[in-house]
Amino acid sequence: MKQSKVLRMIAYCMIPILVFAMITSLLVKEVQKDEIITQKGNEYFQTDQFVRKYMSTVANYANRLIYENEELPTFYDGETQICYIDNNFNSIMVEDFYILIQYKNKAITNLDMNSDTNTIEKIKAFISQNQNAKKVNISAGNIESDSEVIEKKGMKYSRDFENTYYTRTEEKGQFNEIVESVIGSQVEETETTGIKYITTQIEDFEVTSSYQEILQITSEEARMKEFLNRYETLGEKAPVILPVCLSAVLLLGIYLILSIGRTKGKDEIELNDLDRIPYEILAVIGCLILGVECLILANMGYGGIVQDINLYISIYTTFYLVAYIICAVLFNTTVKRIKAKTIFQNTITYQAWKLFVKIVKKTSAKTLEIWNQFTESTGLVNKLLMVIVGYIVIAVILLSSFGGFGILFDIGLAIFIFYKIVQRINGFTKIEKHLKAMYEGDNATKLKIADFTNEFEKMVMYINDISNGFENAIQDGIKSEKLKTELITNVSHDIKTPLTSIINYVDLLKKEKIENEKVKEYIEILDNKSQRLKKLTEDLIEASKASSGNVKLNLETINVSELLKQATGEFEDKFKEKNLELVMNLPEEKVLIKADNRYMYRIIENIFSNVSKYSMEYSRLYIDMIEKEQTVQIEVKNISKDVLNISEEELMRRFVRGDKSRTTEGSGLRNFDFEKFDRTSKWNICYQN
Amino acid sequence: MYNILVCDDDKEIVAAIEIYLSEKGYNILKAYDGKQALKILKENTVHLVILDIMMPQMDGMETLSELRKSQAIPVIMLSAKSEDEDKISGLDLGADDYVTKPFNPLELIARVNSCLRRYTKLGMINEEASENTYRTGELIMEDTLKKVTVDEQEIKLTPTEYNILKFLMQNKGKVYSIEQIYQNVWNEECYGAENIIAVHIRHIREKIEINPKEPKYLKVIWGIGYKIESL
Repeated sequence: MKQSKVLRMIAYCMIPILVFAMITSLLVKEVQKDEIITQKGNEYFQTDQFVRKYMSTVANYANRLIYENEELPTFYDGETQICYIDNNFNSIMVEDFYILIQYKNKAITNLDMNSDTNTIEKIKAFISQNQNAKKVNISAGNIESDSEVIEKKGMKYSRDFENTYYTRTEEKGQFNEIVESVIGSQVEETETTGIKYITTQIEDFEVTSSYQEILQITSEEARMKEFLNRYETLGEKAPVILPVCLSAVLLLGIYLILSIGRTKGKDEIELNDLDRIPYEILAVIGCLILGVECLILANMGYGGIVQDINLYISIYTTFYLVAYIICAVLFNTTVKRIKAKTIFQNTITYQAWKLFVKIVKKTSAKTLEIWNQFTESTGLVNKLLMVIVGYIVIAVILLSSFGGFGILFDIGLAIFIFYKIVQRINGFTKIEKHLKAMYEGDNATKLKIADFTNEFEKMVMYINDISNGFENAIQDGIKSEKLKTELITNVSHDIKTPLTSIINYVDLLKKEKIENEKVKEYIEILDNKSQRLKKLTEDLIEASKASSGNVKLNLETINVSELLKQATGEFEDKFKEKNLELVMNLPEEKVLIKADNRYMYRIIENIFSNVSKYSMEYSRLYIDMIEKEQTVQIEVKNISKDVLNISEEELMRRFVRGDKSRTTEGSGLRNFDFEKFDRTSKWNICYQN
Repeated sequence: MYNILVCDDDKEIVAAIEIYLSEKGYNILKAYDGKQALKILKENTVHLVILDIMMPQMDGMETLSELRKSQAIPVIMLSAKSEDEDKISGLDLGADDYVTKPFNPLELIARVNSCLRRYTKLGMINEEASENTYRTGELIMEDTLKKVTVDEQEIKLTPTEYNILKFLMQNKGKVYSIEQIYQNVWNEECYGAENIIAVHIRHIREKIEINPKEPKYLKVIWGIGYKIESL
C-alpha cells in the first residue's frame, strides 16, 4: 500500500478539493456574520466601516486638490480653478458618487467636464439633483447629510481625513510653489530639522457630495458576495465539513509523508532530478511564483478589471491550483529529501559550508605542518622562547586595547600558557618514570601516545620501539632456552630406555660364570661406561633445566657450617679412598644464610665430587669458611693430580675439564651446574687448585 | 608364590626384569601396553604390578587410574621420567613406589620385596608394641632387644649408630642439627665433633635404606640437620 503510485495520486488530488471545501465553508461562515456584506445590502451603509471609507475618499480628493492640481484638466469659474478627476479614485463602492471639494479659490470634482458642469454652481446643482441619493455637505467643520450615520459619526472620522492627507511633510526646497501659494500661511517650518509641516484641517474645506446606496457591481465585496452565495450550502454544513475535511487532510498528509519516495521492490528512497536541485533554488522559485500570483490577484481585485463572475472564479481557481501544485511539489521533495537524508547536504548553503570547512582544514593543516616543521627544527627551548615572546606581545596588545580588562585577559592567557608548559614538563616526568621501569626490567608496559602532547610523539615512538625490541629479545631468549630444555629432556628420556636394557643385561652378564678373563674385563668396561652414560643423561637434564632459568628457589635459613659438616660426612669415604686429609676450618658460632638448601648442597656436592675425582692422592684438602660483612665465602683448596694448563676463568665454563682429553671419570657438566646455581643463589665461590 | 605383572613396551626390559625376579622365586606375567595389562589383571590373580609410564595405546598413568578403580594391589611405577612432578603425579594417582630408569636391579628387587611384604602383612601389625618399641613405616626398633628391623629384616648397627637412630626414632618427625644430636647422644658439649655424626648417619642410611641417595626413613635436611620421617 505504501508503494502504490495510484493511491498517492488520489491523495494529491483529494487534498486541494478538501482544502477548498474547508476554506470556502470557513469564508462563507465568516462572511455571513461580517458586517461588511449582509444579505440586506443596505445595512452596509449604516456601518462605521462605510463612514471611515467615505472620509478617506474625501481626503483622497482633497489631497489631489492640493498636491496634484496642476496635472489635471482645469476650468476657471472666475477666480476659482476647477480640477476634474476621473471616478477611479472612488473606493467607497457606491453607485453615482459625485463630489466637489472647495479650498479657497480652488476646487476639485469627479464629474465629467462639459457645459453643464463648468461652474461651481452648476456642479453643486448637478450633485444636489442626484435622484434618491444621499447628500453630504461639509462646510466649516460641520457635516450635513441625509445619512444619519455620516452626520453622527463623520466628525469622529475627520481625524482620518487630517492624519492621512493633511499633515504632510515636504523636504525644504522641493516644496511645491503652487502648494505654497494654495496653503499660504498654514506652512510651518521647524528650525532644527529644516522640515516644513503643513497642517490643514477639515474646517478649511467645503465638501459637497452625493451617492446612491447601491453597491457598485465592480467592487470586490460585491463579487465576493456573489461568489460565496454559490457555495452558501457549504457554509451551512461548515460544522461537519470542517472537522471531517481537516482530519481527512491530516490523514492524507500522514499517508503521503509515509509513502513518498517508496517504490515497489526497492529499499532506498528514489530521487528524481527535481530532488537533486539545491533546495534553496526550489524554494526561491516557488516563492517567486506565489509572489507573482499574489501580485496579480491584488492588482486584479483593486482595479476591478474582471467583470464576469465565472471568469473571476476560474482565475482564482487556477491560481489556487497553481499555488497548490507548487506547495505539493515542494512538500513532496522536502519529504523525500528528509527520508533520503539529503535535505541538508543538497543545499547551496551546505555545499558552501563544506567547501569553507575544507578550505579552513586545509589551510590549518598546512599552517600546523609549517609550525611543526619549524618547531622540530628549532627545538623545544626555542619554541618556549617564542611562546613567551608571543605572549608578551599579545599581553601588551590586550592591555593597550582593553585597559583594565586587558589585565584579566593577560592573567587568563598566562594561566593557559602555564598549564600548557606544565603539561609538557609532566610529559618528561612520565617518560623518565617509564625509562626507570624499563631500566628495572619492565618492558611489557608501553607508553601511550595519546597521553602526551604532540612534541613527544616521536620520543614516545622511539622509546616504545626500543622497549619492544628488548621485550622481543628476552622473550625469544626464554623461548629458545625452553625449547632447548624440552629437547634435551626428551632426548634424555629416549636415551634412558635403551640404556636401561644395556645396564641390566651387562649386569646379567656379570652374573654368568665366565672363565675367560678377557671377556670379564670387557664386561667390566661395559659396566663402567654404561653407568657413566646413565650419570651423564641425568646431569644433562639438570644442566638444561638450570640454564633455562626454570629453577624455582625455595629460600630458607640454613646453617652453612652444618651443611659443610653434612657434606663432608657424605664424602668421607670417597676422600678416604684417595687418602685425602681433610682440614676444615669453620667458625664456632652458627653461620646463617638464606638459600635453597637442596641446591646449596648440589653446589657443595659438585665441588666435593670434583675434588674426590681430580685431587692428587695423599694430599690435603682445606675447607675454610670466611665470613664477610654481607657474604660468606667458602674456600675449597686441593691439589690437582694433573698439571693445569687452563685459566681460572676457563675452568669455570661448562664442559671444561682440567686434562682436556676427556678420558677420566666425570662429566664436566658438574662445573656448569655449579656456575648456574651459584648465580641464582648469589654466592661467591672461589676456585683454587 | 606371588604373581607379578611387568608391563613395559620395551620387551628387553621386561625380559631382564623377569630374569631378576624369577631368580627370587616370583611368577612373572608380561604385558607390553596398558590394555594388555588390564586384561591380564582381569583374568589372573596378580599380587604386584610394575608399570612403565610412556607406553603406546594406553599409558601408565591411565592404566594406573583404571586399575585403582577395582584393585588395591601394590604398583611400582618404572619410568624414564625423573622429574619431581612426574613422581608426585604417579604417587598421587595411587602408585606405591616410583623407580626411575635406568634402574639398579637390586634396588628394584628390594622395592618389590618391601611392597609385597607390606601388602601381604597388612593388618597384621605387631600388637605387642611396647613402650620400648619405636616404629616408623616398616622400620621397627625394639629397644629391649636392641634389635632394628626394616621390612622384617634385621639390621646390624654399631652401638653409636644405634644410639643416634634411637634418639631420632624417639623424636621422629623432628629435625636435629649435628650439635643437638651430639649433645643428646653423648650427653656432653659438642666440641670439635666435626663431621663424625654426619658420617655415622650416612652409614645408618646405607644400612636401613633401599636407596641411600633417596632415603625413605632417615632424611637429610641440608644445612639444617637430620630427621626420621614419621610414616
